[in-house]
Amino acid sequence: MSGWDRTRMERTLENGVTRRGFLKGLALTGAAAAAPCLLLRALSADANQRFGEGYQVFRNACPRNCYDTCSIKSYVKDGAVRFVEGAPESTYTHGGLCVKGNSYVRYAYSPDRIKYPMVQDGRGTGRWKRISWDEAMDRIAKKILELKQQDGSLLGLALTKYSGNFGITNYGVEGLMSSLGYTTRLVGTPCWPAGIDAQNFDMGNMWCNDPEDMTQSRYIIIWGANPAWCSVHSMKYIYAAREAGAKIVVVDPVLTQTAAKADEFWQVVPGSDGALALGMCRHLLDLGLHDAGWLKANALGFDAFAAYLRENVTVEWAAKTSGVPAERIRAVAEEFARAKPATIWIGYGMQRHVNGGASVRAIDALVAMTGNIGKVGGGARYGHLQTWGFNYHAMIRKPPEGSKGFVGAAGPKGEFDFAQGGAAVKYTDRALNINKTAQEILDAKDPAVRMLWVSCKNVLSQDFDRNKLLQAFKKLELVVVADHFFNQTVEQADIVLPVTTLFEEWTVNVSYWHYWLSLNEQAVKPLFESKSNIEIAAALSKRLNELAPGSCTFPTQLDTREWMEKEFNKKVYELFGIQSWEDLRKGPVKARMPQAAWSDLKFGTPSKKYEFTSDLCAKNGNNALPVYVEGRKPYDKLRLLTPHSKFNIHSQFQNLDWMMGFNPAPVVYVHPAAAAERAIKDGDTVRVFNKTGEVRLTARLTANVARDTLLMYEGWYKGLAFNCQNLVDDTPADMGKFKTGAPGVAIHDQFADLVRA
Amino acid sequence: MSNIPDHTGALTCGLRDFFAAADGRGLAQAYARIAAAGATPPPPADWDETEYAFNRLFVGPGPLAAPPYSSVYLDPEPRLMGRSTSLTRAVLQAVGLESTWIGSIPDDHVAVELDAALALRNIAATTGPGPGGELAALRRYFVAGHMARWVPRFADRVLGQLSLPGPIVTATRKLELWLEAELAALPPDAGAAPARDIPQPSTGGDYA
Repeated sequence: MSGWDRTRMERTLENGVTRRGFLKGLALTGAAAAAPCLLLRALSADANQRFGEGYQVFRNACPRNCYDTCSIKSYVKDGAVRFVEGAPESTYTHGGLCVKGNSYVRYAYSPDRIKYPMVQDGRGTGRWKRISWDEAMDRIAKKILELKQQDGSLLGLALTKYSGNFGITNYGVEGLMSSLGYTTRLVGTPCWPAGIDAQNFDMGNMWCNDPEDMTQSRYIIIWGANPAWCSVHSMKYIYAAREAGAKIVVVDPVLTQTAAKADEFWQVVPGSDGALALGMCRHLLDLGLHDAGWLKANALGFDAFAAYLRENVTVEWAAKTSGVPAERIRAVAEEFARAKPATIWIGYGMQRHVNGGASVRAIDALVAMTGNIGKVGGGARYGHLQTWGFNYHAMIRKPPEGSKGFVGAAGPKGEFDFAQGGAAVKYTDRALNINKTAQEILDAKDPAVRMLWVSCKNVLSQDFDRNKLLQAFKKLELVVVADHFFNQTVEQADIVLPVTTLFEEWTVNVSYWHYWLSLNEQAVKPLFESKSNIEIAAALSKRLNELAPGSCTFPTQLDTREWMEKEFNKKVYELFGIQSWEDLRKGPVKARMPQAAWSDLKFGTPSKKYEFTSDLCAKNGNNALPVYVEGRKPYDKLRLLTPHSKFNIHSQFQNLDWMMGFNPAPVVYVHPAAAAERAIKDGDTVRVFNKTGEVRLTARLTANVARDTLLMYEGWYKGLAFNCQNLVDDTPADMGKFKTGAPGVAIHDQFADLVRA
Repeated sequence: MSNIPDHTGALTCGLRDFFAAADGRGLAQAYARIAAAGATPPPPADWDETEYAFNRLFVGPGPLAAPPYSSVYLDPEPRLMGRSTSLTRAVLQAVGLESTWIGSIPDDHVAVELDAALALRNIAATTGPGPGGELAALRRYFVAGHMARWVPRFADRVLGQLSLPGPIVTATRKLELWLEAELAALPPDAGAAPARDIPQPSTGGDYA
């Protein structure tokens, strides 16, 4: 080749065969010539053979907190993931990914990824230095041993972890804490706890039908969910149902993209969902459209419920409370009762209220009284954990001999606490309410919380009352954060640890919505110095045991693939009809369960029936019957909603350049009438404020929200200080403690006002 | 040292070590190597501020002000491990070399590319241009057709930052001068367009 035509040269270089022959005949002395080149070495023979060859295909699974938990095929060439697609073997993922899943290559290979363990000289200063893994582990281990020595226990060490990575081996973070002894745990869930308790009281568990059976529904009410954005793969079943004649009704305070695709949309007053459902129940009762046979055979307490309805509920009251016209309540209730099977998808948004659990119970009651529970195409769909029967090998660890801990009642540590129910122990971990993280850290005594380990969670973007959180962080002597990106919590960390992405670790994933199981293979080497959570645990255990032998029971060395294998058991294999986890290399598999939850009508309640009257619910501080519970009294002029955006899952994804390109900055949606009252025009910068704090952002005028409602999507934007938690306090929901250890949060029972900034 | 090639490789190695440094000590040592290869302003007494700034620019943990990877500037998608990364790997593989960081740190990190340029120069000095000028063409491609297309943009990103510590400014300007000298030292090629006249890609996201 003469000259250096760039395009031609690049083609030559990209073709392994021509490249290898390119310098043939030249007596190369590459290795010798590279003697001063400290970052180069002689090429290994196999590397030269591999380079430029075809794609290797790996199996991955989206581990984010999302209904869809997509099965992914990853295409690797030259040691890097080049593109991804939805696995076609899963009829749910069906070969497609959402906007977030399609960005995974950008996610893993973002220049912004956290690359090394680093220490901040002064929290929040931005003065960061690289440290080695050994030094990071040494600093952390010494602090842990100091706490133990000074306090006599490790209750001064708190873990806050939630849904940033649902890969099963990542429960090794909890396992690390258990391996240290008894620690403090921020327990509960900000997501869906009120609804979980409600469904447990009604049916004995949270268990939704296979979403793929919605094709057989004759009537679908989507109540407080926005699958067009948040569960895109479910939409095909909804469309299929409609094509087969089903009617689609959406109940939501916002004209969402899902609502826009519905046959009928009810813009409900937030928090009035219970009244609306009970109004429908009353109308069906009056018309005798309840399924008396089903109720007699399968329900407990329907007569008491009917009496409650007759004495306390009218359609007109429901209409006035919910804002939905009485004639539409009647019409849709009748249609729903007559169209069998009919189903309601109960979204998580509608239970994020002070009466959220009661509202879910009222909707469950509507589905039950029409005889739609236990039927394909029917059901009160909320979520399930039926397919999560792994060993939790990484999570379930014994404390070191002689560990001391909390003396008092132990409860569930969140909805995914699969270690519950062990033998009685002298000590337990100390449970603090994750939904009041700030106040709990401020209040904790004997001992105080002095060290916080943050994993799979962005505390300062997602936990409530950010100003109070910043105060609470001042009490902490050491904050360790393991994450992918420099989010608002990393900003306030002392030490940050880089963790692997889904392409760089072995694990296994299932969904809390669909019934599929997916393998997550390590497709590429971890970029920079990132480690998986269980490798971090092993590294810390190694240093702890060097400093104080026996101080940590977590293994000091492990093989991440072997640890993935250890999560499987015979029951998992039987449920999914596989002989070995290796079968998953051929693609995801679906659980061999009936499509309908509760198809045998053997409920998990004390009575084994559907319980309209739940003594368990009453014992847990709520009403035995699914009665209407008042919503939160407004404390400011406008209601504030902070739901999920299309471009992110909580604080993940929005920081990526693709998302920032499409959605560069947060906005607050304001009804034109509310804006006019405040002389606010579309595009104005406004200050939204309430008793908790304030944010500044751009106003967008739209009638998609009600006149008395403001809406801003939650999310963490790269380089922006925006944080909707400045405006969200930690007022609890009515339920959640029974099954998750702490009540939920009334995220959508917030109020605020705004002015032009 | 404008247009004076780095015959000994001392400056190349000094720049490589500077941009590959893991801490303030490494930065100080590399700066001393750069200084030994030519006049530089005196180093600061305290390297901490240089280290903090270095990490904000090139390492993290926050978003990088000036990512030191060619793919961020040259590829349609400004991310790591892109086509430009593979091309740099291919250049090294064509001469029987690979990055010691392969698989963990992208091959097109500016420090690796400086080493690659040095290796190509040393190989050319030993073997000549090759029977058909292949090696000369490869080297010209790498320096003029690859590094010259992104290093100036990288340097602009660095020098566009406010309040940069002196050693970072010096090292970046030396990098620019190194490139000019390396281009000038390439064997003549009649069919070649000047490297800086090569059109830049029209896309490049927020790093372009």
